[in-house]
Amino acid sequence: MIFKKYSEIKSLLNEKKITSVELCKAYLKRIEENDTKIKAFLYLNKEQILEAAANSDSRRQVGKQLSEFDGIPIGIKDNICIKGERVSCGSKILENFVSPYDATVIAKLREKGFIFFPGLNMDEFAMGSSTENSAYQITKNPFDTTRIPGGSSGGSAAAVAGSMLPIALGSDTGGSIRQPASLCGIFGLKPTYGRVSRYGLVAYASSLDQIGPFSNDPQGIADVLSVLSGSDLNDSTASMEKAFSSSDLSKTDLSKLKIGIMANEGNEWDADVKDKFHKIIDVLRSKGAVIKELDFSIHSYSIPIYYIIATAECSSNLSRFDGIRYGYRVEDPKKLEDVYIDSRSKGFGKEVKRRILLGTFSLSSGYYDAYYGQAQKARVMIKRSYAEYFKEVDFILQPTSPTTAFKIGEKTQDPIQMYKADVLTTSVNLAGLPAISIPAGVDKNGLPIGLQITANKFEEGKLLSFVSEISTLEECKVKLPESIE
Amino acid sequence: MEKDKLQSIANLAKLRFEESQLEGMLTDFNKIMAYVDKVKELDTNGVTEEEIYEWSENRVRPDILGNSMTRDEISRIAPKFENGYIVVPRVIET
Repeated sequence: MIFKKYSEIKSLLNEKKITSVELCKAYLKRIEENDTKIKAFLYLNKEQILEAAANSDSRRQVGKQLSEFDGIPIGIKDNICIKGERVSCGSKILENFVSPYDATVIAKLREKGFIFFPGLNMDEFAMGSSTENSAYQITKNPFDTTRIPGGSSGGSAAAVAGSMLPIALGSDTGGSIRQPASLCGIFGLKPTYGRVSRYGLVAYASSLDQIGPFSNDPQGIADVLSVLSGSDLNDSTASMEKAFSSSDLSKTDLSKLKIGIMANEGNEWDADVKDKFHKIIDVLRSKGAVIKELDFSIHSYSIPIYYIIATAECSSNLSRFDGIRYGYRVEDPKKLEDVYIDSRSKGFGKEVKRRILLGTFSLSSGYYDAYYGQAQKARVMIKRSYAEYFKEVDFILQPTSPTTAFKIGEKTQDPIQMYKADVLTTSVNLAGLPAISIPAGVDKNGLPIGLQITANKFEEGKLLSFVSEISTLEECKVKLPESIE
Repeated sequence: MEKDKLQSIANLAKLRFEESQLEGMLTDFNKIMAYVDKVKELDTNGVTEEEIYEWSENRVRPDILGNSMTRDEISRIAPKFENGYIVVPRVIET
């Protein structure tokens, strides 16, 4: 049962061929047997999960299910607030924090009857591309447990790829949903900025952060997005655009599509990644799609722009962790200033401190215009480039990650190498666009390759319609591992 | 960047580094700065302030009195809480 796709599980549940309790027990068993190797979960409250599942089953028995999703298990990244649950953000500074409220996305999922599996591991405060920056544990890639699952939503991606859950939520600031989805051979969507409310998502970089779904099939992405999307009085950046609905999906005629690819690919892509990517493009061309090369030279500035803007916003957002109202407070401070300084210095990990310093520097007097001001303007140039591309093409296709999953520890000593893992994903956040990573075959070592498809703002309907078509290609198939070694 | 400058940035950020940690942080910091410095090469003269903020709009909630967190809820997440108040160290030196 656990190896079935999300859409099959949903059907079985609605046809009353399985119960939510049976389903959750099967996943809990899978987690018990395999999560000692994968380490996707920071904690697990079995009784609570089974109680919620039993309540769901009672509702369905009397025909009072909350929705077609009632009883479906969903994993939650550890930076999304659930009332009464721990939310650590993978950080020691929030080790004992229990959320007093529900994030808007959680309230929406709760209304529909989803069963929460919280506590999915992540890089501390979503800062990282490998989940090695968690203060608690390193999550492993289910395809090869000597390798990273990607990050920062590595726990969410590994849980779905390891068949410990059918769907999960993550957050994406510079690639944190798409890159782990790619490295773990599953689907992961970063919606348009403003598509989904950020209320209750612990903020990293507010102008870039966006919550989105992981799934083992395209239906799970569309279903979860249809529940999450919509405006919210608690987040002024949540868009007033009409919310996404499954009725926005339609049949895509591949022969009528115009696909953009990068004219200048750069030399960082693995040979297998390059090869598989071009094979897919060739198939699309053979089916009648028009392929157009786009000038991506401005995007070589994306990582520097991203790191200036994201760290500036993080230095401001993380100033709330001061040891006063919640979170870790140092023992026996001598004076008030020590509460702030010592609590933060002991509570935050190395990468978080590095990014706070970088952001504080680029916002500081005498450097602001040269760094933050310049990066803001450069961000506009990235946005303009996409506006031009979408005059000519329907979608832009790229590999999601230039490489497949790397070894644990391989890039931890060199921050720049780690930052470059996001070379193909950060531009999308800077421009606020929707983009998905879908499976695109495996490399010579059997490690998954991901295909990133970017669409114009608020075109998730068109994007996901295309995904349900392209993901059926033989070249895009990836089989998730049943036994975890 | 020199060590003193990084120390003053750390002060602004309310972070403290041991002498031994500062060295490594400085090396990483300079490496990252050399990389992000690339952004200065771009000619951004054609970009206006309006374009930077074009996506943002001021939207406010209706000004209606609602429920916030209760004192009891706050007491459960505060590091130190006594008699209905969050406790902090003495602020005024005597």
